[in-house]
Amino acid sequence: MQNNIPDYCIKPVLILGCGNILFGDDGFGPEVVEYLKQNYSIPENAEVINAGCSVRNILFDIILSDKKPEKIIIIDAVGMGRIPGEFFEVQIEDIPENKIDDFSMHQLPTSNLLRELKFLCNVFVKVYACQPENIPENVYVGLSKKLNDIIPEICKLLINEINQH
Amino acid sequence: MGKEIIIQPVTRIEGHAKVTIQLDDSGNVSNTMVNVVELRGFEKFCIGRPVEELPRIVTSICGVCPWSHHLASAKACDAVFGVEIPSAGRKLRELCNAVAYTEEHILHFYFLAGADFVMGPDADYSVRNVIGIAGKVPDVAKKVVRCRHLAAKMLQMISGKSIHPVAAVPGGFSKVLTSEERDECLKMANEVLDLAKFSIDFAKKDIFPKYIEAVKTLGVIKTGFLGTVTKDGTLELYDGVLRMMQPDGSFEDFNYEQYTDYIEEHIEPWTYLKFPYMKKAGKLSMDLDNPIGVYRTNTLARLNVCDRIKTPLAQKEFEEYRKAFGRPVQLTLLYNWARLIELLYNAEYAIQLLNDPEITSKDIRIPVKPRAARGVGCIEAPRGTLIHDYETDADGIVTNVNLIVGTTHNNAPINMSVKRTAMDLIKDGKYDQGILNMVEMSIRAYDPCLSCATHNLDGRIPVKIDIMDVSGKVVKTFKN
Repeated sequence: MQNNIPDYCIKPVLILGCGNILFGDDGFGPEVVEYLKQNYSIPENAEVINAGCSVRNILFDIILSDKKPEKIIIIDAVGMGRIPGEFFEVQIEDIPENKIDDFSMHQLPTSNLLRELKFLCNVFVKVYACQPENIPENVYVGLSKKLNDIIPEICKLLINEINQH
Repeated sequence: MGKEIIIQPVTRIEGHAKVTIQLDDSGNVSNTMVNVVELRGFEKFCIGRPVEELPRIVTSICGVCPWSHHLASAKACDAVFGVEIPSAGRKLRELCNAVAYTEEHILHFYFLAGADFVMGPDADYSVRNVIGIAGKVPDVAKKVVRCRHLAAKMLQMISGKSIHPVAAVPGGFSKVLTSEERDECLKMANEVLDLAKFSIDFAKKDIFPKYIEAVKTLGVIKTGFLGTVTKDGTLELYDGVLRMMQPDGSFEDFNYEQYTDYIEEHIEPWTYLKFPYMKKAGKLSMDLDNPIGVYRTNTLARLNVCDRIKTPLAQKEFEEYRKAFGRPVQLTLLYNWARLIELLYNAEYAIQLLNDPEITSKDIRIPVKPRAARGVGCIEAPRGTLIHDYETDADGIVTNVNLIVGTTHNNAPINMSVKRTAMDLIKDGKYDQGILNMVEMSIRAYDPCLSCATHNLDGRIPVKIDIMDVSGKVVKTFKN
């Protein structure tokens, strides 16, 4: 942090891995971010955070902060009826308008906040999602193989995104 | 069969809830249910692991109050290992707790509950939120963001990590606070104190007077209260005795290790979440006119059960609050007022701890050895009394775990407050967004943290809703 503003408000690129590692494939975002941090030198222009279930706090602060990143990339497991392990970009415009989006602390449907960032704060927001295979009802830690296997490929993509910025 | 009104989700609480309101044939409320999703299987997940891992694992239960789980777990581990941690280690834990409280209570007042008051309960939900607050009182919003940054920065400085804390370990604390860090934290803590003072003045002058009628009527129920105090009855958030207060104000203190002698859990068929109640009452009844065994936790409860507060500014506010509303006070919306007094207390207490010469001591941790034992850790989380109860074998491997989290204690009263509000406001089948928001306000006052795992992009929640007729027969089931 500099000048009492968190690094995630200051650096041009912010990557947030979201999800709960206690629920199987829901831990995809955090696992991607941890792999990225362990296997790459993160360029100076980027901040990479394992946001876990606390993403809303970070987005709140960014929305209300004078300084903001230029680009935010969200990584999360999102059930969209695709093939498990499929990795795809979700357009914020496609996220259904729904009252729930206001203030969900725990998971991706912080989409009103994402919309605010994109359309009112002029931050470029990109959501990368992976179709989960197994999100158990009871606590279970660990990704299914299909999701685990695609993490290295996704990290290459993310590093390219950072370098191209 | 009458009509059901479903409010889903209830917004601006930590997690999601679904409210079902049943109307009778004449359009008046016959029943209400607050359905929530509970984290399941965590206890089983912990069994077989070395107990010292739990303080790190429990921070993943929920991203909302990781510090409370972290500290309650560390305390349970201390008890399992049978150690009393060094005084400086305890003070560092308390310092983290106090700073985390300021961050949480600021969040709740300004981001979660405050919008109802700043924007007005009838305002459209699209503006009745933090963005609306930022537009209406921009200078306040800036202060809020800055102080939340400062609190996070202090936690990072004191403990090394603010989001997923690891610094509290069995036997104490793992990171020494240097004099330089202490000095820097003090400057930040003073700024947070300024915001705490501003917040309660702002609320007393510009917010609460406008809504005093709502405060006196919305969701008001009659219950007992549970909270932690020191042995002389002073408000305590990290370690003390539990005080169970009856609705008439009489109370009994007990050691938190004995919680199973005082708290029993009731199960309802329509929700996974249990309903704790006073064991000595013999049963739970959520009948609004004749409740039995119901108690509340969180800010309103803590300020009801305590006799005093140990910091001067908060004590002054507490005296004014008690003089105005009495003891025990049952007005549900006063959770918000009590929360601001606690914000002030924690901001002051953080400064007291930072000024304590022992806070920079290097004697912060003692070694521990595994043994077969049971250990209970209990602290006051911002959202209520939090109990972690562990058992281990001779190798320190977990054999049993039981958790009671703050919001679970408030399950019965939240349901009752919703019913009260709905019955008072919905007549002859008539309701509007303002009325439904006031139903939500009666939930938000409790600042519930409903552990959940929502996985669908449209925000649907994995919950099953049974709609019942007046005889209790399921007539319709909703499943996401």
